[in-house]
Amino acid sequence: MSENNGPAIHIEGIKRSYGHIEALRGVDMQVEKGTIFGLLGSNGAGKSTLIKVLVGSTRPSAGHVRVLGLDPFKDARKLRELLGYMPQAPALYEDLSARDNIHFFGASHRLPDLAGQVERVLTFTDLVARAGDAVSGFSGGMKQRVSLACALVHQPQVLFLDEPTAGVDPLLKEAFWEHFRQLASEGVTLFISTHLMDEALLCDKLAIMRAGTVLACDTPQNILLRGNSTVKIWRGQKLERETISQYPTQLPGLLQSYGLDPAITKLELDQDNLETIMLRLINDKPGAGQTVDAQV
Amino acid sequence: MATSVTLSQEQTGHTTLPAVARTLAVLKRVLKQLVRDRRFLALSIAAPLLIMYLLKIFFDSLGNFGPSRYIVPAGALIIHFLTYILCAIVLVRERTAQTLPRMLVNGYRRAEIILGYLAAYTILATIQTLIVLFELAWVFNLDYDLGKQLSIYLVNWLLAVISISLGIFLSNFSENEGQMLPTIPLVILPSVFLSGFLINVDKLPGWIEWLSRLTPLYYANTVLQSLIKPGGELSQEWPSLLGLLLYGIIVLVLATFTLKEQE
Repeated sequence: MSENNGPAIHIEGIKRSYGHIEALRGVDMQVEKGTIFGLLGSNGAGKSTLIKVLVGSTRPSAGHVRVLGLDPFKDARKLRELLGYMPQAPALYEDLSARDNIHFFGASHRLPDLAGQVERVLTFTDLVARAGDAVSGFSGGMKQRVSLACALVHQPQVLFLDEPTAGVDPLLKEAFWEHFRQLASEGVTLFISTHLMDEALLCDKLAIMRAGTVLACDTPQNILLRGNSTVKIWRGQKLERETISQYPTQLPGLLQSYGLDPAITKLELDQDNLETIMLRLINDKPGAGQTVDAQV
Repeated sequence: MATSVTLSQEQTGHTTLPAVARTLAVLKRVLKQLVRDRRFLALSIAAPLLIMYLLKIFFDSLGNFGPSRYIVPAGALIIHFLTYILCAIVLVRERTAQTLPRMLVNGYRRAEIILGYLAAYTILATIQTLIVLFELAWVFNLDYDLGKQLSIYLVNWLLAVISISLGIFLSNFSENEGQMLPTIPLVILPSVFLSGFLINVDKLPGWIEWLSRLTPLYYANTVLQSLIKPGGELSQEWPSLLGLLLYGIIVLVLATFTLKEQE
């Protein structure tokens, strides 16, 4: 493991422009080691650009980045031994087999037993049965698995996954997340971008991005607490609605005001989901609703 | 999915792999891709054979032409053309498939990628050059002695390697295959007209004469024209041979430094 005792990832005031388009407008965040950090946002929010900056593939216009205490540009050679990267596109050699692809990306590192490690990641991603087949014949989900295996083969300490479950069926998505949890339990830091709300809730910490800015950065539970809850109270056929902003603590007070009215026939609680909270955050933050149309 | 396998994090102290090993990894991977693409391989071998045969029909139709002044350089032009095209598309394809940035993030360095590609395609070009020169000698009944034939092969082989480097270098300026295609006539047509193989460049305006130095075929043709003369030897045209070598080194260095590591 790295000798760095600080956070796995430290981002301070990162900006990046593509011509007149500002893909990142001053991003700050910190990711602790051995955690799963989610980057949630719609297309064009700046998620991929941020990941490219962190892996040293795109140079930022301003700001500072440290991954495991290292600069992704000045210490690129040292850092590349320690990080794994799964881009949004599969980025595989379609005419080669899954095994050949994994072996090639593993061959750039000095591994004591590369062949053995290739077999281990093939097993880990459940690809053994098709390991010798050309990737061109694989489904989208299988290509994603090969791509993940390529990112894992050298046992990185930090893993950057750019929308790893895009186009993946629910069953496979669940299996992917089992893998991610297992890796985090082994001390690997995972930095995952997604535009899927259900997936975002599985992260230890979450940053919501929009048009190159971070709207919120907290645990999913705390972000959910920012939402409102609507309590629906029926007295026979009559429906009354009460809105509370802090669901677990304000609910008893609200119910006390009703007493235990025997006329109350039904109670329902509607909580804001992550999507609603995200939309509210966008509306509350002037300028953040602007979409970056460029493919970044 | 199999979740019982644990990817142990105990072996993370791995040190940096030597550049030679990574270059060999690129070479092996590109060779594997070439071997798997049988159609590409078949076309790479069949195309020069067909072109040489068409050339034979063309020269035969000209009657008693004494074609050796043109035939050997024409062979060089075919080698230059085919090897340039062979490699011009490959790195663009890597860029569009995003495997190139992935390779770089994974720790492969620019020079290792370029040299790995060059080595792999040189193996193919070596075979292609041999086939072209064999067919040339056979269909045109060229009866040069072994030493001269080896010298001609060496010049053509060197030209092939340089053409591959040129293809890699120019592909660095293209984002996709569509942008790469217009560079093909831009490289090949000046090679035809400015190499001295059809027109004597000394008779062209001064600035065009200087422009001719930008095409590797100019140096190769100068050496070959001298070689095919009775008593011609490789050592007689050493400045052009040196020019060809220098051209190759410069293009290779440029190819390495123009390969973008970051956006």
